[in-house]
Amino acid sequence: MLPTRDRTGPAPDQDPKSAADSSLVHRTDLVLTAIILAGCGALYYMTTTFEEVSLLLAQNISPEFFPRLLLWLIVVLAVFLPVEHRFLEKGRQGLDKGRRERIKAKTVVTAGLLGGTVASMPWLGTYFSMILVCLLLPLLWGERRLKVVLPFAILFPTAVALLFTQVLRVYFEPGIVGPVFH
Amino acid sequence: MEPMLEGLALLADPFNIFLIFVGVFVGVMVGALPGLSSPMAVALLLPFTITLEPVPAIAMMAALYCAGTFGGSITAILINAPGAPPAAATALDGYPMAKRGEAGRALGLAAVSSISGGIFSLVIFLLAAPTLAKVALSFRPPEYFALAVFALSMLASISGKSSLRNLIAGAVGVLIGTMGIHLTTGVERFTFDLPELTEGIEFVPVLIGLFAVAELLKQSQTLNVAYERVTSVVIRLPSREDLRKVRGTILRSSGIGTFIGILPAEGATVAAIMGYNEARRWSKNKDEFGTGTPEGIAGPEAANNAATGGAMVPTLALGIPGSATTAIILAALIMHGFRPGPFLMKETPEFVYAIFGAMLVANFMFLAIGLAGAKIFSRITLIPRALLWPIVFTFSMIGSYALGNSIFDVWVTLVAGIIGFLMLRHGFGTAPLVMGLILGKLVEESLSQSMIMFDNNWLKFFESPIVVLFFALTLLGLFWPAGVRVHAMISARSGRRAGDANTAK
Repeated sequence: MLPTRDRTGPAPDQDPKSAADSSLVHRTDLVLTAIILAGCGALYYMTTTFEEVSLLLAQNISPEFFPRLLLWLIVVLAVFLPVEHRFLEKGRQGLDKGRRERIKAKTVVTAGLLGGTVASMPWLGTYFSMILVCLLLPLLWGERRLKVVLPFAILFPTAVALLFTQVLRVYFEPGIVGPVFH
Repeated sequence: MEPMLEGLALLADPFNIFLIFVGVFVGVMVGALPGLSSPMAVALLLPFTITLEPVPAIAMMAALYCAGTFGGSITAILINAPGAPPAAATALDGYPMAKRGEAGRALGLAAVSSISGGIFSLVIFLLAAPTLAKVALSFRPPEYFALAVFALSMLASISGKSSLRNLIAGAVGVLIGTMGIHLTTGVERFTFDLPELTEGIEFVPVLIGLFAVAELLKQSQTLNVAYERVTSVVIRLPSREDLRKVRGTILRSSGIGTFIGILPAEGATVAAIMGYNEARRWSKNKDEFGTGTPEGIAGPEAANNAATGGAMVPTLALGIPGSATTAIILAALIMHGFRPGPFLMKETPEFVYAIFGAMLVANFMFLAIGLAGAKIFSRITLIPRALLWPIVFTFSMIGSYALGNSIFDVWVTLVAGIIGFLMLRHGFGTAPLVMGLILGKLVEESLSQSMIMFDNNWLKFFESPIVVLFFALTLLGLFWPAGVRVHAMISARSGRRAGDANTAK
């Protein structure tokens, strides 16, 4: 007789990891699928708000036809995501390799800093925004040698600004404080 | 013959040669730095080439593409950290050989295999591109639609965590391509009431975000990773004995790499993996693989560089990108006012030959640069990441801004970067999204034109044998890997059951 398995959890001699591997649905991917489906739903709704045109003008291809076709395709593909790990050679572990670790606070702060830099561009101008990111990002990433960071934060953006404005004739956003330094 | 000479004459300008050198130098450097990749570098370079003439602009990008693939092998061999994904297979034997104290030999083998693969693929490029373009001249919208669908289906088999995720990313890319005004009706789609989106989303800021900013955020997760490095390297050309050992492998891998490169969407990474596997399969010393055998270096290196020339064939002859980097080169061609595809070969063949010449020159240049500067390039990994990535972000910011002097584009870059980071985390490749984005317009336009031609009758697609062939290849491409996997699973299960039954007896 073949051994039976307790339905409430892994057998005492069974590795919990392999039990997770054999589960039918991958929870993280289930959430991912829900997000994708919700996004597709929202976009599908948007296609219903597209301006209506006569079929004669659209030559039988209405503007919402192709996006809807794609949305349906994404939905059909996304439905398989939660069970996909069962068909992969490396299984669940292969999929989870990059996301096992939580998103670090440093990454979130980095994204925030980059966002802040872009937001500051209209006011500070391109040059000072470059200085800002070249000063704060190394400090945030643990570079504590100020005698390296400070010259870098000033010299690199200055060299880039000179190269791009004088040689490549790229226009730099002057910002509100820019004219003061002109 | 005349267009070829004209094309090579275009390159003879010292300024163009200088730009090719810059492309090669930057390519080797970027390839050698873990985290930086040639698609990222080409994407960052793109906005600054607007002011250049088309020939030097595209030649520089093509040179960077070739050199970046080779550059990845330097750090793969010396610090076991492939500078670029195509070099991952090189590390399997390159690093053990370097650890044995033969780093120079490993680098020499990588350089010679790379240049051999590169030149082999360029010869095929020279022969295949005009022929393919001639065939493609007879293509009508239905054939183009089928070809584009086939190219998108190939995303299922490009490297990455899963075929399914690659396909979803590709479809999302095509969907993003539908943003803006619908050409046939003039209706605005997915513009979110933002006037900047009326004409659709700009390729370049999205590409920069997906390749540069996403990688920056990924790097912020791994700041504590340290590399063990092999120092004091003097690169040396392979001995006659080594060359005798690897010549068959180089030839085979060059063929594989070129073929994989020509297939739409398949790039150097897949070619390198296949090159390595085939080198092992055909080798008499299979057991030595993974311990630092010359064939284990020559196989992937010849294949990944051969894929670069191969990938240019569909890009230039059909307007279908052969890899992520060529997708960006395709965007650059469009930006410079060219129409990639058969008409490019027909109307401006000298331009295509100039790109061929640039890639050929680049192959010799990276050999020279590799021989002279391997020691320097092995040390560039000493640049602290805390200083390197602000440089990347600065260029991302200026690059996306310079395109249209618009801060909105910089926001697009940032948002694309954050989305790209989350995608990578959950196993969705950014390269498939880029391919979808680039091919999106072609897919929709050719579908619309076909449907108008066929008076909305889908069945008429199947009247063209070329369409049927592409659709058949699409189905094969989509279901073959899944079929093989399911078959393997069923075999394994039945094997296990048989084993259990025997145990029970």
